[in-house]
Amino acid sequence: MTEPLVTLSGVVKRFGDFTAVHRLDLEIGAGEFMAIMGPSGCGKTTTLRMIAGLDVPTEGEVRIGGRLMNEVPVHERDTPMVWQSLALFPFLNARENVEFGLRMRGVGAHERRRRAVEWLERLEIGAFAERNIDTLSGGQRQRVALARSLVTEPQILLLDEPLSALDAHLVIRMQGVLTRLQRELGITFVYVTHSQSEAFAMADRIAIMSEGRIEQIGQPREIYRTPASRFVAEFVGRNNILSGTSRGDAIETALGTFPTAGLPATGAPATLVVAADLVRIGRTPSDGAVPCTLISEEFVGATVTLFLEAVDGTELKVQIPERTLGELNAHAGGSFYLSWPADAGHVLAES
Amino acid sequence: MSARIGTALLLGWLLLVFVFIFSPIVASVVFSFNSDRFPTIPLGSFTTHWYDTIFADAEIGEAARNSIIVSLTTSVIATTLGFATAYTDYRYNFRLKGPYLALILLPPTIPLIIMALAMLAWLSWIGASGQLWSIIVAHSVLTAPFAMAIIRLRLNQIDPNLEAAAWNLGSSEWKALRSVILPFCRPAIVSAACLTAAVSFDEFAVAWFVSGLNKTVPVIVLEIVQGNIDPQVNAIGSLVFLTSITLVVLAQLFFISRIGRS
Amino acid sequence: MQVRARAVNRFALAFRLPVIVWQGLFFLGPLFFMIAMSFFLVKNYRMEEAFELKNWARMLTRGYVWDSYWYTFGVAGLATLAATLIAFPAAFALAFRVSEAVRRWAIFLLIIPFFTSYLVRTFSWYVILAESGVINAGFGTVGLGPYTLLNTPIGTVVGYLTLTLPLVVILQTVALANIDRNLVQAARNLGCPPRRTLFAVIVPLAKAGLIIAALFCFILSFGDFVAPYYLGGSKPPTLPILIIDTTKSGQQWPRAAVVAVMMMLTLFAIAATSIWLAYRRRSSA
Repeated sequence: MTEPLVTLSGVVKRFGDFTAVHRLDLEIGAGEFMAIMGPSGCGKTTTLRMIAGLDVPTEGEVRIGGRLMNEVPVHERDTPMVWQSLALFPFLNARENVEFGLRMRGVGAHERRRRAVEWLERLEIGAFAERNIDTLSGGQRQRVALARSLVTEPQILLLDEPLSALDAHLVIRMQGVLTRLQRELGITFVYVTHSQSEAFAMADRIAIMSEGRIEQIGQPREIYRTPASRFVAEFVGRNNILSGTSRGDAIETALGTFPTAGLPATGAPATLVVAADLVRIGRTPSDGAVPCTLISEEFVGATVTLFLEAVDGTELKVQIPERTLGELNAHAGGSFYLSWPADAGHVLAES
Repeated sequence: MSARIGTALLLGWLLLVFVFIFSPIVASVVFSFNSDRFPTIPLGSFTTHWYDTIFADAEIGEAARNSIIVSLTTSVIATTLGFATAYTDYRYNFRLKGPYLALILLPPTIPLIIMALAMLAWLSWIGASGQLWSIIVAHSVLTAPFAMAIIRLRLNQIDPNLEAAAWNLGSSEWKALRSVILPFCRPAIVSAACLTAAVSFDEFAVAWFVSGLNKTVPVIVLEIVQGNIDPQVNAIGSLVFLTSITLVVLAQLFFISRIGRS
Repeated sequence: MQVRARAVNRFALAFRLPVIVWQGLFFLGPLFFMIAMSFFLVKNYRMEEAFELKNWARMLTRGYVWDSYWYTFGVAGLATLAATLIAFPAAFALAFRVSEAVRRWAIFLLIIPFFTSYLVRTFSWYVILAESGVINAGFGTVGLGPYTLLNTPIGTVVGYLTLTLPLVVILQTVALANIDRNLVQAARNLGCPPRRTLFAVIVPLAKAGLIIAALFCFILSFGDFVAPYYLGGSKPPTLPILIIDTTKSGQQWPRAAVVAVMMMLTLFAIAATSIWLAYRRRSSA
């Protein structure tokens, strides 16, 4: 990360008795694509709104480019936002919507028009410049909202679940548009989402939030392979989570004892996380393999997730390519054996 | 079979109710062109005599002028009050919001005759009765709730992020009001202005009490009716009806056409 | 939506203060002054500030005031009952027997009367109901009548209905049209015959709307002076006519204020009862 553009330090936000954000510290670099991810109600949108000045922190500081922003009114910030509802002005056409920010800055009509049209063309919707908002498709509106936010050439763009209303195939296309734009413009994107696939596909770094606190910040791969807490392990992807006791170089669980590195001192409680795609599944028993019964399957594209149950009732997940499913001859109720290499396990820092 | 008879009976009853509601309106228009001073069946001959007499009547002309001034001014004030309350209700929460809203919404629940007495007494006490603007003041209080209701309904349809989006793009609160909230509410504002003008144009009880010598058209009608049977009333009524209905249709057109667009 | 939890700023006050000042001055001011005025005294045709119960004592002990009170209460109640019963089949037809488009048009038509002069409509009834009027001329052609319709409680009720019926039909229609049709069908599915759904399901579901419609009808009738004066012949005068006579002829504003406060208290009690009847047993939705 280069020098931070946005710094939140010790930020607390309360709404009456409800605390939306607890003592949050976050630095976002210039030119960085930062995703803030978490379940609904985790405080991610409030955090974004505090950067925009739409909510004022109860405690702590928000700085942008080193400047303390707490008392700076919304309209003097230049932190444009792409809203979940898009919030396009229904009484203005596409071009007039894009011009809005320039009009508020007193840019002349001619110049305004030129720049608006330029942006609409850049986003490939130049043909719809004079159309009413309600005659545009969801994807086209999305692009108008983007153009409207970028036309003033801000240093930072805030995005609040902007793709949540789009069809699946449009989401993928817009992800491409967003990453390309962010790289070309070299400005900071702060992207709030509850969708793991969006965050992992686009972001340089991801902050995972839960109940007003940041659970982990890191690159997508880091978050995926080395979750910092049980919450992150459960929220991100298909992880198997086993609780047990450390035996020094192995962890003793209800399902057996598994050799693992990075354990705490012998006798201490420990939690082992094994990603579902690193688990091996077979029909014949082998040394240390866990016997299971297949419960159900879930297909997503070319990947299948198998849900299995161990003898003691623990649920385990395995991800395999769809094409290998045939060889396995998997059907509900069948018996299988699961195993994983010692270096596939990740021990949670907390106990 | 019995269900169809039931439906037929219901629709027949509905028709009768409409006949009851509209017969006095239709009758007054018909009687206004009827030559008999006291109309009955069969009708007399067609005449525009009653219209001629009211157009020739200086007092009625003066009253029409007063009515127009009162209703136009009332509609501006009432719509402004209605907008301010509707916007406050839409945007803010505060401890005394209930009483604040009651302050503007309650007047229509109080009988006009009571408002008339209260207005007369209070305005005389503070030395402000008997003027045209005494009527304006009273009518603005009586009609503001209607403006408030119409504009509030429109604000229900706004995306709550729209105003915040304008701030986010560099508008101050005042600029956002002018460039986002007002354009969005324009159809409702025009409707509210038309409706409050129409209500004010027809109101007679309060106007009668506080107007003093500055009579409006409905007050003249009240005085004519008190005296005797005079089909001039029908002619005036038909013209007032035409004016009001034009305003109402305009209000509908503005509101409905705009709702269709968004 | 409260976006910024800042202390009330100048922008917010610009919308709040003028409304408070204006309504305080021209709505609360008049009402409270009128209540205060009911305790004032009139000496030599001039009103003087005072706090005396003389007006109240005088008005509450006069038989004609109470005659007038109960008469007004009775005819307004009669009109409310009549309006509710007359409107219901019409509203039912509009809610359940016509298309959405017809319903919308009907409601638009029902709004029109609000913008035609109530005075002119009353005057029309006067001409129609008179002994030599249209109705009796009609009866005459089949050898009946003439009947005395003017200057009777019938005339008053006809006038009240002219004022209130469109509103009652609209409110009842909205109440009935908003009923969840699935509930009606569920009742049928559970074995409720069509005729019984009316009182078993539809009326209970529309209860609040029906009561509120009746309440509006009563408030409007109770406070109207045009119908009882021109069509009812002011025999006996209703409370609003009493207010007018007392104000306009005798300069006895404080006594008129006593009548007005009596009316307001009555309406307040009626409204509170109606609202309680309409919304009890309902959660705070």
